Amino acid sequence: MGFITFENVDREYHIGDNVIKAVDGINFKLEQGTFNVILGQSGAGKTTLLNLLGGMDSPTAGRIVVNGKEISSMSEHELTDYRRTQIGFVFQFYNLVPNLTALENVQLAEEICPDPLDAREMLQRVGLEKRLDNFPSQMSGGEQQRVSIARALAKNPQIVLCDEPTGALDSETGQKVLRLIREVSSELGKTVIIVTHNASIAEMAQTVLHMRDGKIAETEFHKNPKKMEEIAW
Amino acid sequence: MVRGALFKKSLRDMQKSKAQFISIFMMAALAVAIMTGLDSIWFTVQNHADAMYRAANLSDLWVTVQNPSEQDLRGIRQIDGVMQAEKRFSAEADTDLPGKPALHVYALDDLSTLDQPELREGQFSKYGGGAVLDSEFAKAHDLKIGDSISIKINGVWVRLPIDGLALNSEQVYAVKNAATIVPDPEAYGFMVIHTGVLEGVYGQKVYNQISVKTAPGTDLAQVVQKSDTIIGKKLIGTTLQKDSTSVSSVNGRIQQFKTLSVVFPLLFFLVTALITQSTMVRLVESQRGQIGILKALGYSKRRILWHYTSYGVMTGALGSAAGLLIGPNLFGRILVPQLKLTLSSYSIHINYWNFAFAFLLILLCTGGVSFYACRKLQGDTPAVLLRDKQPKKGTHVFLESISSFWEKIKFSSKLMVRNTMKNKGRFIMGIIGIMGCVGVIIAALTIRSTIAGLNDQMYGNTFTYDQKVLIDTGKADFRYLNNLELDGITQQVQESAIEVICPNGKQKMEPITITTRDSPLIHMQDADGTLISLPESGILMTRKLCETLGVKQGDSIRIKRTDKDYVSVPITEVTYMASGQGIYVTNAYWKSLDETFKPTALLIQWNGQPDQRFLESDIVVDSATRESQNSGLSSSMQTVNFAVVAMIIMGASLAFVVLYNISILNFVERIRDLATLRVLGFHHREIRNLVLLENYFSMLLGMLAGIPIGRFISWVIASSLDERLDLLGNITWPDVLLAAVMTLCFAWIINTVVARKMKQIDMLEALKSVE
Repeated sequence: MGFITFENVDREYHIGDNVIKAVDGINFKLEQGTFNVILGQSGAGKTTLLNLLGGMDSPTAGRIVVNGKEISSMSEHELTDYRRTQIGFVFQFYNLVPNLTALENVQLAEEICPDPLDAREMLQRVGLEKRLDNFPSQMSGGEQQRVSIARALAKNPQIVLCDEPTGALDSETGQKVLRLIREVSSELGKTVIIVTHNASIAEMAQTVLHMRDGKIAETEFHKNPKKMEEIAW
Repeated sequence: MVRGALFKKSLRDMQKSKAQFISIFMMAALAVAIMTGLDSIWFTVQNHADAMYRAANLSDLWVTVQNPSEQDLRGIRQIDGVMQAEKRFSAEADTDLPGKPALHVYALDDLSTLDQPELREGQFSKYGGGAVLDSEFAKAHDLKIGDSISIKINGVWVRLPIDGLALNSEQVYAVKNAATIVPDPEAYGFMVIHTGVLEGVYGQKVYNQISVKTAPGTDLAQVVQKSDTIIGKKLIGTTLQKDSTSVSSVNGRIQQFKTLSVVFPLLFFLVTALITQSTMVRLVESQRGQIGILKALGYSKRRILWHYTSYGVMTGALGSAAGLLIGPNLFGRILVPQLKLTLSSYSIHINYWNFAFAFLLILLCTGGVSFYACRKLQGDTPAVLLRDKQPKKGTHVFLESISSFWEKIKFSSKLMVRNTMKNKGRFIMGIIGIMGCVGVIIAALTIRSTIAGLNDQMYGNTFTYDQKVLIDTGKADFRYLNNLELDGITQQVQESAIEVICPNGKQKMEPITITTRDSPLIHMQDADGTLISLPESGILMTRKLCETLGVKQGDSIRIKRTDKDYVSVPITEVTYMASGQGIYVTNAYWKSLDETFKPTALLIQWNGQPDQRFLESDIVVDSATRESQNSGLSSSMQTVNFAVVAMIIMGASLAFVVLYNISILNFVERIRDLATLRVLGFHHREIRNLVLLENYFSMLLGMLAGIPIGRFISWVIASSLDERLDLLGNITWPDVLLAAVMTLCFAWIINTVVARKMKQIDMLEALKSVE
């Protein structure tokens, strides 16, 4: 059994009289400390998969086991605790709290976690030591995403989940952000899962899950994933 | 105009923000309902009372004089402006009915046209020996036409058949004397008879009053002065129509509701405007892109502006329509009968000017405010509007400059502080809403405890007798009463009315009490509770009377002596008395004015059991225990409780609507932030607290601000409640605390409702994209 295990996981949605299987009988295993990518067109079920893994949603069938715990059978309250202690999130649109400064956005995470990393240090790691007291509205997209990364990592989670983290950024900034995610998470030994439709990102991953119509169409393993510099966008 | 697609859009938009638009609607309806409701009360009372005064041909003034002669009457008729003058008899009479109720008896000449009773049943037969009885009194005592009733006038019992039942324009507010707070048809009523009846009893016609009707616009002060000269020493006093107990009480009520119809709705109009403002600002901001699209399609600026203004106009117009229906029909219909006035009709009269005013005011608060709220966005070009909106700006707040403090507080508190500062309008709305709620409730509770406290004030501190015994002045005088050896403390008092002339020219009859200087059973105090003794020379006047007459301590007024000229007396002391305004003098000073002390009542504080033999002796006309006088006050509490409940409901509705709106807006606007927090691993309860604790911040300030507001409203109500009462309307801490606790309960209820609503919303949805 892997660090993250999905066994026959289904997620159905009822929209009117229609039943949509966003995730349909998925099986996979991922190891701890790896860098993984879930690749697929929009509507392939990537985000649903990420939500299931992140404890934001529960499957309609199947088992999800993370770090030896079955999260698919957890209560709402247990799932919140799971998110609190195990998961770091990075969103496409950063989702910073506009009313809090960069530092405070990171401290936000610090406040609820049992074993957080220092907020200032994390912001220093993402290169924002000079923007601590700026509000999100005063920062560029790339900078906001870096705050978001710092926030995800400051919680000191086991798993970092990124939903199209470069989706709203230009390619140069996107590369920088990705490199940052990769560097910092490997330094800290975190398991990273990135959801994207950008195939070129996949080349830097150890495992790539190709999703199509709610199913895993193909699983790719890279023994020696490419370095960021080698990837052509 | 609103039509077609845009109209549909506005309807759908409103449906999306149901809660807010319903709130605006409710507040608008309440504001208009309270305004027009209170307005319809005084307007109805005024119309019906005026109609009754006209129908009865109510006199403009009454000159009280012992046995007026034909010459006196002719003299008065010749005064400029006097159209009619008639002699009549007016006095109080005892009855033999259970509970010993009293009747005010008016005896009119056969040809009289002034001060006629308004017959409801039967007739007022000329030259007959029958009586017309107060219809309310008859109802209370189960008397019908054809029954007989015994009354005792001037010591003689007369039995009279009841010929008719009527209302009386002089007894619209039917109270026996200043000590009675609320009319009670069980205890007091009126009767109208012919002077012929008195002739049958006394052997001659008896009169003691001249009723005078003047031409409109006549200077009544002149008429009073001239009558005074004509009557001379025999004059007892003059009473203007507006000073008579009933008319002044009715006018007092009218004035009271006029004041309230301005003071109360203000808060509601203000809150309507604030809710509209916050709703429309948010709506217009969230429709930035849509405005851009409309502009790009070629809609004119004015068209778009009107489109958004129409949201407010429609809601406001609907709300005020509901308010106009509810106000007079609900408030008016319920409250007018609660005033305990005996009117010929209680049908609601509507002041259409006020309707129009309320309607325009509410349109200003809704439509006007909507217009203002969306005016800002109009300047931008479609291109700017269509572009994605910048993330909402965060700003540093003042508190951050105190870094030692800022560093220490939790991020959640920081978030609350910044959010509050960003949404100042909403914050102020919260403060005003809670302020209004707390203020109105404090006022309601204060009025209640003030009136409940009247009992203790009057019969606990001021009057300490057990029993008040009315004495037959023909059988017992001062010396006789002095020599009575009763087991207890006694105090002799003479109670009557006296004509006074003030330095400012005011002339009217006021109650006077003459008693012994030591006054062991009546304890005068000033407003602070310091004891005041009756002055050796000069008079003591109650504070409220000083105010009414426009005199102060140190002034001299002239008072009319029995069968003698006026004499000037100084106001040596001023006392505070909650109920029973008047003049107090010592018997020694009274004698020094060349008057005689003729006690009309004996106050007794028994050492043991009341002396039954004395109470049953023939010098005792009537006796009342303090408890029975006390209970008269208690019966008025029912009306007060009703008003208190109505006010608390009003306050609560303010709190509910305002808090609900702030909470929902606070939640909906930040749903994305909150969803992020949720994903980060915040528990539902933590997020709920984050949103709802913010309310307690504005609540705290609102409650503090509510205290002076409550003080003000209490004062307005206390001072306009009743001319005969001198209420301070001081707020007390228990009442303030109770109001605060009630408000907190309302807040708790709202928070529970909002928290439930928060749980229902799918936070994942909110995360998906930028708004």
